[in-house]
Amino acid sequence: MAERLITYSEALNEAHRLEMASNPDVVVFGENVSSGWRQVTKGLKEEFGRERVRDAPITETAFIGMGVGAAIMGLKPVVELMLVDFGLVAMDQILNQMAKSHYMSGGAVKVPMTLRATYGAGTSSAATHSESLYSLFAHMPGLKVVIPSNPYDAKGLLIESIRGDDPVLFMEHRLLYPMEGVVPEEAYTVPFGMANLVREGSDVTVVATGLMVGKAVEAADELGPKCSVEVIDPRTIVPLDEEAILRSLRKTGRLVIVDEDYERCGFSAEVAAIAAEKGFQHLDAPVVRVATPNVPIPYSPVLEKHLLPSKEKIVKAISQLVGY
Amino acid sequence: MEIDEETKIELYTTMVRIRTFENRARILIRDGEIPARSGFYTGQEAVAAGVCAHLSPSDQIGSTHRALGHLIAKGCDLKGLMAELCGMSSGLNKGKAGPYHIFDPSVGALGANGIVGGSVPMVAGYALTHQLRDDGGVAVSFYGEGASNQGGIQETLNLAACWNLPLVFVCENSSPEVQRMLGHEIDYPQLSIERVSDRAQAYGIPGATYDGWDVLEVYNAVGDAVKWAREGNGPTLLEFNVHQIEGNLEGRIEVRDDERIWCPIHRFKERITDEGILTTELDEKIRDKEKSKVEEAAEFALRSTVPAPIEAFKGVFAGGP
Repeated sequence: MAERLITYSEALNEAHRLEMASNPDVVVFGENVSSGWRQVTKGLKEEFGRERVRDAPITETAFIGMGVGAAIMGLKPVVELMLVDFGLVAMDQILNQMAKSHYMSGGAVKVPMTLRATYGAGTSSAATHSESLYSLFAHMPGLKVVIPSNPYDAKGLLIESIRGDDPVLFMEHRLLYPMEGVVPEEAYTVPFGMANLVREGSDVTVVATGLMVGKAVEAADELGPKCSVEVIDPRTIVPLDEEAILRSLRKTGRLVIVDEDYERCGFSAEVAAIAAEKGFQHLDAPVVRVATPNVPIPYSPVLEKHLLPSKEKIVKAISQLVGY
Repeated sequence: MEIDEETKIELYTTMVRIRTFENRARILIRDGEIPARSGFYTGQEAVAAGVCAHLSPSDQIGSTHRALGHLIAKGCDLKGLMAELCGMSSGLNKGKAGPYHIFDPSVGALGANGIVGGSVPMVAGYALTHQLRDDGGVAVSFYGEGASNQGGIQETLNLAACWNLPLVFVCENSSPEVQRMLGHEIDYPQLSIERVSDRAQAYGIPGATYDGWDVLEVYNAVGDAVKWAREGNGPTLLEFNVHQIEGNLEGRIEVRDDERIWCPIHRFKERITDEGILTTELDEKIRDKEKSKVEEAAEFALRSTVPAPIEAFKGVFAGGP
């Protein structure tokens, strides 16, 4: 049978449909989720009814908190946050109630809730519509943080999130929605905490997340025979497959981290710390980070592009390291 | 509404239980057996008793950082509760919660909350689940007049009204005359309106204010709101004026003379004594029984073992690391 190509957003839509069909406890709510032009939730209301697919008022604190409560009651809410930036108005519900209720209750309650959020820059949308912010959420104990970089992972990781017992922040880069990939029709899961070895290499390890995985591969391809680049996509940053990163580092001795989130105290800093603490003896050169500098993302395309990690910046970082 | 004698004795007993428990907890705090101070509910017992008398374990409440009254009225096990306050592994939440984060799903107590107003959006999720399952269940959200200004509560009132959720909002206003919060020097008013219940109108739902020191008034008001919600008519906002009262370290239920006018236990005792429902003998019997239950709970807590330090690392996630 021919392999089927669908887009990242179609893969996410399919994950919703399969889980809603097989489990009546799966419910979806958020802003405009019943709208026909919202790619990921399109058609869900028509198929599963307006009771289970609900448009919420623009009140993130209320509807995210409602998701926490519904999850505690045993439903499997998939709550959509239109942009991760908007989650900042609901930080108590996300970082206190969603993340910590299971631990604080001594395990008496569980919060099997998936909070989906689009993220990312590159569309000239400026500082409150372009951020990544996953490091901020990964900082708080109790949240799992998932960042699929391709359609196959998007579907499998979302099904894993919905079926799991824990609160998940599920991050979707909006520029990935049209990306096509081979995706099986049936339901399947991609486990958390298991990195994907995207490209094998022996000279430099590049750890990249989300949209940056593709940019890292492009950079590696451009360098071609000059440098053998290994690209690792952690897929989930909580839990993080540290061993996959250290294993690669043992082979290459060089590490570049490509992260669209802000550099300071971010995911790139975390991976650099792991390399320093647990992989120091394998390092032949300083760790290099290609992350968004500590500057709010500006509107004008020229300014925005100047700040964001890019293929060119990754090529430059790898080249520097090889010559070290 | 005509309230039978049995219900009246139950309401009285619940209030006595709450006060006896809290005064015992005060002693354990003084003695260092409970490692931190706690928000107390003394003087507000009529609200918890009057609300929870209408709920079954399959109905849920969300609470505050003055949760003990709500938790006890909802039926939490006193031993597990006291052990939790003492930080013991036999506590309801294995010593992870303390007074501000207690959850007991077995009785629908979900849960205390350390963030002012933090539990309210979650209660909408409890109510939503009942609505989706069409099981006739309701959820009740307790919060105070200070919390009532929080955005999350305004948002949840709107959402509950838009979705017609089976949710009863219960605001306990502990400073109904002066609009200030106990223990704080506040020079500016905290509310721009006379009554918190006036806000119900802004969300198109029923709302009214009652005397929270009169347990029968609470019982009647909540009975109507719970019935309204169970029958699918949506949320109600009830405000109960209350006065916080100082507890004591002598194990007395009685309060100072100047506080008696606001004390729901004192007021109700007089009333049901006049009605001939409560005799001196029955009163002593109720108090002795509650005292011995609370004492058992305290002994259980003090005999319990502290958690092993390694337990601190357990239970961050339900489904593995």
